[in-house]
Amino acid sequence: MLKFIIKKLLQMIPMLLVISLLVFIGLELTGIDPLSYMVSPDMAGSAENLERLREQMGLNDPLFTRYFRWVSEMLRGDFGYSIVSGTPISQIIAVRIPATIELALLALVFSTIIGVGIGIVSAIKQNGIIDYVGRVFAVVGQSIPQFFFGIILIQIFAVSMGWFPVGQRISPGGNWSRIQHLVLPVTTLTLSMCAVLMRYARNTMLDVMNSDYIKTARSKGIPEWKVIIKHGFRNAMRPVLVIICFRLPMLIGGSVVIESVFSWPGIGTIIASSVIAGDMPVIMVTTLMVAASILVASFLVDVFTALLDPRVRLGD
Amino acid sequence: MNEKDIVLSVKNLNTSFISDRKEIKIVKNVSLDLKRATTLAIVGESGCGKSVTVHSIVKLMPKNARVKADYILYNQKRGDKITEFDLSKLEPYGKEMRALRGPDIGMVFQDPMSSLNPVYKVGDQVAEGLLEHNPKMSKEEAKEQVLAMFRELGIPDPENRINDFPYQFSGGMKQRVVIALAMICNPEIIIADEPTTALDVTIQAQIMELMKSLQTEKNKSIILITHNMGLVAEMADEVCVMYMGRIVEFGTLEHIFNNPSHPYTKALLRSVPVLGMEEGRLLETIPGITPNPAELKEGCEFADRCPDCRDECRKGTIPAFEVEPGHKVRCLNFNSFKEVD
Repeated sequence: MLKFIIKKLLQMIPMLLVISLLVFIGLELTGIDPLSYMVSPDMAGSAENLERLREQMGLNDPLFTRYFRWVSEMLRGDFGYSIVSGTPISQIIAVRIPATIELALLALVFSTIIGVGIGIVSAIKQNGIIDYVGRVFAVVGQSIPQFFFGIILIQIFAVSMGWFPVGQRISPGGNWSRIQHLVLPVTTLTLSMCAVLMRYARNTMLDVMNSDYIKTARSKGIPEWKVIIKHGFRNAMRPVLVIICFRLPMLIGGSVVIESVFSWPGIGTIIASSVIAGDMPVIMVTTLMVAASILVASFLVDVFTALLDPRVRLGD
Repeated sequence: MNEKDIVLSVKNLNTSFISDRKEIKIVKNVSLDLKRATTLAIVGESGCGKSVTVHSIVKLMPKNARVKADYILYNQKRGDKITEFDLSKLEPYGKEMRALRGPDIGMVFQDPMSSLNPVYKVGDQVAEGLLEHNPKMSKEEAKEQVLAMFRELGIPDPENRINDFPYQFSGGMKQRVVIALAMICNPEIIIADEPTTALDVTIQAQIMELMKSLQTEKNKSIILITHNMGLVAEMADEVCVMYMGRIVEFGTLEHIFNNPSHPYTKALLRSVPVLGMEEGRLLETIPGITPNPAELKEGCEFADRCPDCRDECRKGTIPAFEVEPGHKVRCLNFNSFKEVD
């Protein structure tokens, strides 16, 4: 198993390099000139001055020279500076990432427990009350866009009732207020993720419970709960885990919308604002982070699947 | 013969499935007796209700199934003591029914490829039932018993193989594991639902020999479901021929093979491929197709495909006639004989 994990980890290195190259070339192709964002047109720097600045910043070097400079700097822990604010990118990320991870992990944990739980129960009690309620809930959850759902929650629970703050992450008032700030964004993310997970967990569980080896397990005379947990659940979890793990990068890079709605100071808002401002170094680093989180997710999928399924673990 | 020598007695078993709010009858008024230490073969083409019949008996049915029976009596023999259970009165997944599955009734399923759980070691899967029914047994004792069973069933290198996963076994070896799983609690009845259909012919022979020897050595009673007439000739003591959920002919092996009476049985026997058939002669087939069970009309189910069909064959329910002692045929061609139920 350790060999398997090390192998998978080593496989990630070339992948990351390829992705970083793609990100670099991709941004090069957009033709954005960083200087045009740096230097105000009013300052009317002469073409000569601009050219000198370019030379100074190394922007005239060949593509690959610049790429290797960027990569080697990052490997040394130097992520560069934001063009817009001038602060080190590592600092920006260090401030922002806890907020995003807090939101993402809470939503992931809640949606997994609720989604998988309801999914499994609706599979076992197929066509029961929970199954019907779950079905309605899933349709609603999947068809209402996240941002709209967030706005509705804000309108009801923050504006009308005043139970929770409208946005932001922290207001004076200690830990209790931090929890209050979390409730609405976590609920929004959880509900929309639950909807998909629930249906998926239900359908895979139904498939598994109709398979031959479940019949074999029952023919041994073991109690039904053992059949469900030991023989059903473990096999049904494999495909569900893939979905859950790949939620992670979506939550880290993709909660842009939710972070904007709730003015949540996370990575998502940084990505959005850096794209609008053309802040190349920040775009590059954050994009790379999202890509890396996808690699981590697929690594987790590999490890979990291997733990659950001997065919993967011992296959080669 | 003593009545207690009948280990399993089923009376008027009816099973239907609810589909699209319609009730479709799959098994109709099936009554059968399994004598102790004999093999009863249930024969018929695909979809005739063979599997549904035995699954109804052991109550392993999907939720949309409705099973009704006058009784399903099982006579448990422990030493000289005989206890009677009526399976039709038990909860499908209740404690009493579960206690019978494994130590009293073992099941071997059709497809060994899919009837083992892919994520557990085969040894653990076989031991699971044993440990469940013997709460005091230690894991080591269970392992010893599994090893002994594997040796008996001819699984090579059992000490290492019990730690393998199902995907590391070939089809024939997997079926041996499935048989081990059914046999481990030493059940009285073994229900084998097409145990060799998914295997190739040489392995089929090995598996059937294995089951035959288990039966003769340990006095097991077997219900064998198959559509393979060769297998029936090899294994069975008594034969039930089923067509569209009804037993159309019942008798001993000799009755069925020497004096097949129902037109369907005759046709079935004529369609068995024979080695050394004349060149150019085609294998006989039964004309027509099996009707859709949802669209069956009254009368004999086989009427549309029967060469001897008459007008009265399409009316009411056809009774069974006893053409010789113990040989019953559900066909109006034999209405000169005594009617039996």
